[in-house]
This record gives sequence, C-alpha cells and structure tokens, in this order.
Amino acid sequence: MMAWTPFYNPMPMSSATVLWLVLPLCASVAMVYKTVRTKDVRRLPWEVLWLFVYMVVGLIVLGVGLWLLMKYWP
Amino acid sequence: MALAWIVPGAGHLYLRRPVRAAIIFITIAVTFWAGIAIGGVMTVDRENEPWWFAADMLTGVHGLVSWGRQHRVQEQAIVDAKLTPSDQTGRTGAGRQTAAAQEIHEVLAERNLALVPPVDTVARAYAGVAGLINLLCIFDAAMLALMGAVGEPPRPTAPESPAAK
Repeated sequence: MMAWTPFYNPMPMSSATVLWLVLPLCASVAMVYKTVRTKDVRRLPWEVLWLFVYMVVGLIVLGVGLWLLMKYWP
Repeated sequence: MALAWIVPGAGHLYLRRPVRAAIIFITIAVTFWAGIAIGGVMTVDRENEPWWFAADMLTGVHGLVSWGRQHRVQEQAIVDAKLTPSDQTGRTGAGRQTAAAQEIHEVLAERNLALVPPVDTVARAYAGVAGLINLLCIFDAAMLALMGAVGEPPRPTAPESPAAK
C-alpha cells in the first residue's frame, strides 16, 4: 500500500468505515444550521445536540425502512 | 453577500454577530478540509464532477485554494501524459477526448492521486456539503442585512409573573 499524505493522497478506507463518517457530517450540518437559526446563542449546544440526534435517528429509520423495502418487496 | 461567500462567517461578523461568525467559519473550514484530507488534492474536480465543483466553490476561499492546488496537479499530469491541447478540448472528436481523460486518470492513479470508490463519495460529500451549508449562511446574512438586523437579537425573557406587577 502506498503512503497516505493528508490533503494530497486519498485516504485508504474500507466500505464499512464510510458509514461512520456520516456522523461528523451530521454534526457539522446541525452546528451550522442551529447557529444560523437559534435566537439565543447560549442554548446552542443543546439545540445542536437535539438536531444531531434527530438527524441520526431519522437516517437510521430511513435506512431500515429502505432495507425492509428492498428485502420484502415482491 | 460577497463577503459571506469569500470568507464563510464574514457576513455574520459584518452584522456584529461574532460568536456565530466564528462557529460558522470554524465548522465550514473543518468540514471542507476534512473532505480534502480524506480525498486528497483531486477532490475538487471541475472537469469530471461539475455539480460537486459548484458546491465546493460555495465555500469561497477554501474552494478556490483547493481548485488552484488541483489545477496545478492536473496540469502536471497533462504534461506527463504528453497530451496536446486539442486532445483535451475535444475538437477532434469525443473519442479522443475520452482517451485523453483516461490517460490523465492513469497518470494520477500511478501517483496514488486518483479518487476511487468509496473514498470519492465521502470526500466530495464533505467538501460539497460544506459549500451548501455556507450557502445557507450567505442567504441568512443577506436577509439579516436587508432587514437591518445588526447585532444579536434581544434574549427571550420569561413572561412576568402577576405578583411582580
């Protein structure tokens, strides 16, 4: 395997690892969205946490729903 | 709007919302450069991924710096693949253009620079999503500027109890 230089070469990665990388991306979206939308910056950490949980649970439900559809659809 | 595009968070800083500006700047920078760290220099690719490229450019200075880096590497690959300008513009036919793109891809693959699945999807999603969330911030800054909403909004207060009146 060739050496990986960050910001230059692509990171060697397996398909199983890819799924976990959706978590930081959700956190990032939740952070910016709530930063823009919140009325009180002091409540930001809780609002970000709730949106993050909401997004992750939504993605899991969507994933399970699509998996069931693929598995049991005639 | 231009300020909010060039430097993510600068629009909010201009509107005297420094905490929000700092959070936006750091989050978008970290998300975008995480994508580049995962996918490498070829993550921002105008020729092969125009839609992702458009999203990348919404990050302003981050996208422009990455495009500059990618352009230098791509130009070097073209020189090393010994291609002529007509090979790339496709004036001599789509088949020749595809062959030229394939040769460039092979040069990049030899140097471990070509993006392959599943890394390409992850890297481009990180960089592209950073651009899209900056678009949200650009619109927010533009709307706040149009409404003349400078500074943080007043903190919501608890309703007064009848005893306090």
